[in-house]
Amino acid sequence: MLELRGATYRYAGYATEVLHEVDLRLDDGEIVGLVGPNEAGKSTLCLVASGLAPASVGGSLKGTLTLDGEPAAGLSTHQLAERVVVGFQNPNTQRSGVAATVFEEIALGPMNLGLPVAETVERTREAIARLRLEHLVLRDPQRLSGGQAQLVGIASLLAMRPRHVILDEPTAQLDPAGTRLVGAALRELAGTGTSLLIAEHKTDLLDGLCSRIVVIDGGRIVLDGPTAEVFDDPRLASLGVEPPARARLTRAFAERGLDPSAIAVALAGTS
Amino acid sequence: MTAVTGPTGAGPIIRVEGLAHVYPGGTRALDGVDLAIRRGERVAIVGQNGSGKSTLVRHLNGLLRPTEGRVLVDGKDAAGQRVAYLAATVGLAFQDPDRQIFAGKVRAEVAFGPRNLGLTGAALDAAIDGALAATGLDDDADANPYDLGYSRRKLLALASILAMGTPVVVLDEPTTGQDARGVERIHRIVEELAGDGRTVMAISHDMRFVAESFERVVVMRDGRVILDGPPPDVFAEASWPALESTFLEPPLPARIGARLGLGSTPTDGALLDALAAAATG
Amino acid sequence: MVLVSVFTRAGTTVLFTVGPFDATLEGVDFAGQTLVRLFAISTAIGLFGLTTEPRSFVLDLERRGLSPRFAFVAMATLEAVPAMVERASVIGSAQRARGLDTEGSVRARLRGVLPLVGPVIFSSLTEVEERSLALEVRAFGRPGRRELLWRIPDSGLQQAVRAVLMLALLGAIVARIAGVFPALP
Repeated sequence: MLELRGATYRYAGYATEVLHEVDLRLDDGEIVGLVGPNEAGKSTLCLVASGLAPASVGGSLKGTLTLDGEPAAGLSTHQLAERVVVGFQNPNTQRSGVAATVFEEIALGPMNLGLPVAETVERTREAIARLRLEHLVLRDPQRLSGGQAQLVGIASLLAMRPRHVILDEPTAQLDPAGTRLVGAALRELAGTGTSLLIAEHKTDLLDGLCSRIVVIDGGRIVLDGPTAEVFDDPRLASLGVEPPARARLTRAFAERGLDPSAIAVALAGTS
Repeated sequence: MTAVTGPTGAGPIIRVEGLAHVYPGGTRALDGVDLAIRRGERVAIVGQNGSGKSTLVRHLNGLLRPTEGRVLVDGKDAAGQRVAYLAATVGLAFQDPDRQIFAGKVRAEVAFGPRNLGLTGAALDAAIDGALAATGLDDDADANPYDLGYSRRKLLALASILAMGTPVVVLDEPTTGQDARGVERIHRIVEELAGDGRTVMAISHDMRFVAESFERVVVMRDGRVILDGPPPDVFAEASWPALESTFLEPPLPARIGARLGLGSTPTDGALLDALAAAATG
Repeated sequence: MVLVSVFTRAGTTVLFTVGPFDATLEGVDFAGQTLVRLFAISTAIGLFGLTTEPRSFVLDLERRGLSPRFAFVAMATLEAVPAMVERASVIGSAQRARGLDTEGSVRARLRGVLPLVGPVIFSSLTEVEERSLALEVRAFGRPGRRELLWRIPDSGLQQAVRAVLMLALLGAIVARIAGVFPALP
């Protein structure tokens, strides 16, 4: 379980806080979606929930982060890395810049953990299989398309076999097939007891994936509840969040007094 | 937005004939593409990563040259023309804003393209102001681009192409990283461009944006065009097997419309209209 | 340089004269030695460059005890050049699409330097922080040794040759100190 309590955070050198009194809890095996308009504090919350802010980024944090009951405050960055990983939206920065092949890139994390070679290789193979990257293993990580780089970045994190995974827009560069692939891989991962926080604009992806949705605006959590409840909330659109197509159409149907059952049937028929 | 006077000849603004492109490594990224784009048309190009979309649009301004076939821009073969010259007709906004932003101020960044095309003085100012207003960056004109968040840097890259006032505007994944308001803004920009008679092409993975903002959808797979038509045709049930063959899903309203036997309804509006018509008729 | 030494080095044994220059035996001797040294050094560097893959070299150093941090820096430096080339090519395309003339006159090209170099530097700088965070996420900087994935093939023959060369080196040093070789001028 990952738990953030009363988190108020300010970046070093800035006068104003970007997060205010944020409470967030990820239970084991739970996938939580994080949505909100641009510059609402999603990326900062990802950094704070992973412990990297303040451990590595600096700044000042009021409130506490606990990882499986253990306070994160005293942990160094590599100790944090053994418990929680975070992926950023720009795949260019996810690349280590030291690996000659995709396989080595994905293996870097487990290798850094000091694992025996056999274990590193096994974890790397597993992450590659989860994201269907077999055809890329011998490619140069510098010469991947944005979408491929994003998948490799996610695989590099999964190879660490973390207890908690935080992803900031993991599918921004991906085509619909890649997006579904990531969704399936994350669902599989949650099945092993890993907890996940996913910041995304693609609410259609979150709709089918998350048990809970947290909405952030102006650095504050403004909605937090079961996925269907939050996505059906009429305030969502005014918060600059695009409701998933299902919720959008269900509302439109209801407003016109139409039977919404066709929506569920159409959704079930294709996914 | 003020459109700089562009070519006004007859015939398609862009014609692609038998285009094939083989990269130095031997990858055949395009394999016989034929396309004619009308003046003022709004065309979305969709397909999986690696299907040849980006390779195709890089031929429109000469960044890539055909291995086979040819590209005609405003009736003239692009083969003999420099990129800097073709850029006056075809403005191409790349996917990653950080691979083009160099100026210390937003305004100077936007000025770069139109200045290269020879705009000066009041015309240059008007072009910059128009582009900043369209992208909602007016208040950031004096900001350092790297103080803006990713989504606004992305809009800045778009503004710097809009300001060039090219008759053709090509956008590579314009909605990536944008929230609902950002996508809505880009939708409006596409409409305004088309309203000015400019041609808009966009590569996108966002099927809702594609269905809502474009009048024509070109679907690519393995370097070929497999579907080409207005959204109601491309997302019609008859096209689903072709879409599925390249792992694309029609937007939800199209799936519901088909389920209810209402014909092809790729947008929310089309679906609700069809439902209303079915109820009264 | 060899010629200069042959003719300018002061010496008592004049071999022949060209204009105002005398070729001395000492000069020829010195020139020969310099030539041999240069040849030895450049051959050694050349052989090393031709036979050693830089990545393997760094990895082997880490295996032999070099700190993973140093290995990282060395490796990142090796990979930085192709990454820069890749980045610069995308930037070049983006700016040409904005009408930057890179095929025109010298003046036009000079004007294009900032738009081409700027994004390489700016984006590298802005990416540095996130990149270092991404590395920390992957447990970079964890104290202690790592078990490397790579085992560089090292055949018995190679080991034997290395041992022989080591012995030869030792022998040469001992011989030099013992004065077996004539002293150099």
